Parts: sequence; structure tokens; C-alpha cells
Amino acid sequence: MKTEDKDFDPEESLALIRTMIETTKASIKDSSHYFLLWGWATMIGCIIQYVLLNVVHYKHHYYAWFITPVALLIHVFFLVSDHKTEKVKTYISQANSYLWMAIGFSFLVLAFIFSRIGWQNSFPFYILFYGLGTSVSGALLQFKPMVLGGSSCFVLAAFAAYIPYDLQILLTAFAILVSYIIPGHLLRLRHRHFNQNSL
Amino acid sequence: MFKELDPILHSQLRLAVMSLLISVKEAEFTFIKEKTNATAGNLSVQVQKLKDAGYIDVTKQFKDNYPLTTCKITKAGVNAFEDYVQVLQDYLKVSKKNA
Repeated sequence: MKTEDKDFDPEESLALIRTMIETTKASIKDSSHYFLLWGWATMIGCIIQYVLLNVVHYKHHYYAWFITPVALLIHVFFLVSDHKTEKVKTYISQANSYLWMAIGFSFLVLAFIFSRIGWQNSFPFYILFYGLGTSVSGALLQFKPMVLGGSSCFVLAAFAAYIPYDLQILLTAFAILVSYIIPGHLLRLRHRHFNQNSL
Repeated sequence: MFKELDPILHSQLRLAVMSLLISVKEAEFTFIKEKTNATAGNLSVQVQKLKDAGYIDVTKQFKDNYPLTTCKITKAGVNAFEDYVQVLQDYLKVSKKNA
């Protein structure tokens, strides 16, 4: 909108305030690439591990998770390139960053804990954290598909405790599909739609 | 008796800048310029006025060897903005009654 330095009446003032606040709402950056990166990386990790464990019967089936450092490198690349283009910091994007930083550390600590006590019961906890992160992120971004996908992980995490380890791997892949991948693609569509309309 | 509208905020461009900054943590000068469609020169003058009033903080630094100006609303700025909106609402209530 075109703004000039002139006086104006109260209605115009309120209209201007409303328009500018709407404008900043539209400036919430598209974070779908992070959800898609980790969603697809984890999904691929689960499928490779399942195949190595049940089809190939390979002893070191957990090698599938060497995909994590690769995803981490791509994540750092995304962070650096986003930092270069970021012109505005919103409270929502900051809250999201803190949330995922805390969840990232939780994953690290979980990896440490399970390497000590055994990985056989690890998946329900990972699913629980996927649910926590995506449901809160979805609420912050006011994006219902992510809230719903994330919330469904709470049920899936509890269910995972009742099924054998190899099926837990597949259930984790499903949890990732509903909490990261599908909402991630929908979030991307929403941003594209929004950008097209604001042109 | 009406409280007078804050003359620092009752200017289209300065109010636009404050309305942008009220809902974000901080914003680059180029972002504000883009969203308000103001010229760099005019925006600089108005940003300086807001800074002098203590309503915003302006930080100048370098990013990738380019100068970068970042603006952030202060506590005094938030209070002034809230007061301004309150006075506007009072004006509108009375003008509706009189209509």
C-alpha cells in the first residue's frame, strides 16, 4: 500500500493499522521445507530399516539412520540461506525456532538414553515427540492439518507400545506421513496460494 | 473532553511503520520500505522521528558486507501505540453516537 506523510481522520487511521497488521501476517515465512526435509528423511529411514530388518535380515539394520546426519547438513544449509533472505523476525517464527531447538535437543538426549537402555522401546517416544512438535507448530501457524496430524501421533505413540518392534517402524513411518509430510505439503500449498493472491 | 491524538503517530507513514513493528519482533528497513511503498529518503526521516521520540530502536550493522538497518518497537512505543488506538476508538464511539 502507498503511504504518504499526511494527516488523516480516525477511520483512515484504523484502516491503515488493520492493513499493516494484515500485511505482517502474510510475512510469516514458509517453513514447510523443514517439515518436508525431516518428514521424508525419517520416512526413508524407517522404510530402509524395515527392509534391512525384515527382508534382507541384516544385523546392522539401524545403519538406515545414517540418513540423519545427511538431513542435518541440509537443514544447516536451509538455515543459512533463510538467514540471508530473512527481512523480518516475527514472534511466531521465533517461538517455532525455540520449540524445534528444544525438540532437537530432546531427540539427541533420547538417542543417548536409548543407546544406554536399548532401542527396542524407542519408537513410541519418538512418535510422541513428533506429535508434540507438530501439534504446537500447527497451533502457532494456525494450520489445522498439522494440529490434527500432530495430535494423532499421541494416539499412535500409545498404540505403538502394544505392537512388536518391526511394526513400530512402519507405524513411525505412518506417524511421520500424517504429522510432517502431508501437513508439510499442504502448508507449502497454502503459502503458494497466499503469495499468488497477494501479488 | 478528548485526549489529543499523539502527533508523532498521527501521520500516515509513521503510523504504518508502527503498525508493522507492533506485530513483529524486528524488521529490516528494506522490509518496511517494501510494505509501506515509501521512498527511502522519506522513510529515513520518519524512522528518525520515531527513534527520537523513543518509540523505536534502530540498529545499524553489516550483513554480508552490506549495511543493514533493523527497527524494533520499544516499550514506550507499544504504550504510545496502545494509547493512540484507545483515543481513536473514543473518537469513533462519539462520532457514531452523534451520527
